[in-house]
Amino acid sequence: MYNVQELKLFHFIPSWYCQMLHNWASLQRHIHLMAPKSHRIRQLAAAEATMQGTSKKPRSISTEAPAAADTPSSSMKHSFSKYAEYLNQLNDKRERVVKASRDITMNSKKVIFQVHRISKNNKDEVLEKAEKDLSAVKDHYIARLVNELQGTDFWKLRRAYSPGIQEYVEAATLCKFCTTGTLLNLDEINAMLLPLSDPSREPLQINILDYILGLADLTGELMRLAIGRISDGELEYAEKICRFVREIYRELTLVAPKMDDSSDMKTKMDVMLQSVMKIENACFSVHVRGSEYIPLIGSDDASYTLLGVPNFE
Amino acid sequence: MKSVSRTLITLTTALSHRSINPNPKTLISATTATVSLRLNSTTILTQQPTHRNHSFASMAAGDSSPTSAAVEKQFDEFRHRLEESGSLRDRIRAVATQIESTTRMMHSSLLLIHQSRPIQEVLEKANTQIDVLKELFSQLAEIVRERPGEYYRYHGDWRTEAQQVVSLFAFMHWLETGELLIHTEVEEKLGLNASEFGLDVEDYLIGICFMSNELPRYVVNQVTAGDYDCPRKVLKFLTDLHASFRLLNLRNDFLRKKFDGMKYDLRRVEEVYYDVKIRGLASTGDGKGEQTVQEA
Repeated sequence: MYNVQELKLFHFIPSWYCQMLHNWASLQRHIHLMAPKSHRIRQLAAAEATMQGTSKKPRSISTEAPAAADTPSSSMKHSFSKYAEYLNQLNDKRERVVKASRDITMNSKKVIFQVHRISKNNKDEVLEKAEKDLSAVKDHYIARLVNELQGTDFWKLRRAYSPGIQEYVEAATLCKFCTTGTLLNLDEINAMLLPLSDPSREPLQINILDYILGLADLTGELMRLAIGRISDGELEYAEKICRFVREIYRELTLVAPKMDDSSDMKTKMDVMLQSVMKIENACFSVHVRGSEYIPLIGSDDASYTLLGVPNFE
Repeated sequence: MKSVSRTLITLTTALSHRSINPNPKTLISATTATVSLRLNSTTILTQQPTHRNHSFASMAAGDSSPTSAAVEKQFDEFRHRLEESGSLRDRIRAVATQIESTTRMMHSSLLLIHQSRPIQEVLEKANTQIDVLKELFSQLAEIVRERPGEYYRYHGDWRTEAQQVVSLFAFMHWLETGELLIHTEVEEKLGLNASEFGLDVEDYLIGICFMSNELPRYVVNQVTAGDYDCPRKVLKFLTDLHASFRLLNLRNDFLRKKFDGMKYDLRRVEEVYYDVKIRGLASTGDGKGEQTVQEA
């Protein structure tokens, strides 16, 4: 039970309220005699709710001007309730967008993992499944995001949905590269997204920045893919990846400093260079050390195998 | 060495058929990991001559291949568009800098209020800057209008300036009327059209928090100047304001931080009010204050 004296210590609770609570508490004591416990708990919860409600009222600061205290504050409150509504709506929407973005990220990651299951003999079936999963991500999760965003939201809430979109760009470009060996253009991705949105609404179009950030992440995945291919013996494939990644890195060096938040991009470029160099070094090792094997063909000496591919990821 | 490898090239090309189409027999024979690795390296090795030719070819053809031309085209376009956006941003920054220096002027003339100058005189001086700001904001709106729907892309470039403007306007309005300047009134004062270039509500609220930071100093100086009724008015206003802010569900962001700071302003004003009241100055000093807040 509430201690009324204690409540008075919270000076923001008006005294009339304490009085009311006091009356209520004595009433409660009577009810308690007959009411079952669960009932009482519910009433307590209700009391708590009303207390939270009233505690937001301004405390009456002084006894000097109690009447005048109400008039200006009510107009102030009126405008603040509008701001509150605005902020609530915005935050709820942001929350939904973040959630949609997280789902896109998660499922795009699955597509990327699927692509990494590629090996020499199962390319077609692995990629077919990846493509299917990718279009499921688009139809299911991106469609949900599209329904949330409208007008200025695309830029206002960009931080909320950008990670998901970047991951999607990464997955889509990776799939495209593995199937055709080419780069999926931004226009092509955006054309695929068009049917998702209601014709009456402004369609979700991925902006250049998110596309570029997604491409920067693609390099990391391609590095893993290249190393995997090399250890699978597909040097030709690795070389192809290497040329492709180099090309992207080269193009991005010109674009990166012009991006809106170029500090973020700068770290990505550093990581990207690391990835490119890893692929190049792996190709180099195979290239150079491969020639050392030439005299050894047919030899049974297994100790040279250690020279093959160094320990890359 | 060279001659050895040359003789081996013939050998490797002979072997290359086997290596390109992986021989099931070699895969079966690869019982341990090390052996299979070794086999892999032999396959790599046997591919080498063909591969070398290929890399030479790609180096020569390199940039003129159709895919890289398409890639190049896309990135050229990106660069072009990002440059455009960058120059727009520069123009916005230029206006924002002017807004900043104008608000600085306004602020400095408002600071005279702490030196017990009459409110009307101080306000008059500060008011002269309003039209300048109005003009600058219309310039800003015009620039941003070039990119419909991208208001929030560039928002960060003027938001601190806008917050400062809100804080000064709200302070002036309070000095004049004793009431809070509401969001739509700020837009009106700046001549903004909410449908195309409005004032962000969060910026407005942050600006109001900045204004609250000014009040403790104002109260202290007013009391020193002999206006003993001032703390009561400020305290009432600030209490109402703080209570109104509590209606908002804030996220853990900058606005939240500013709002959390507001209670220290409130406490400081409460202290001043207490100091004045406990000494009985408030009742005797009523008539004395010359720079009292004009009653609404």
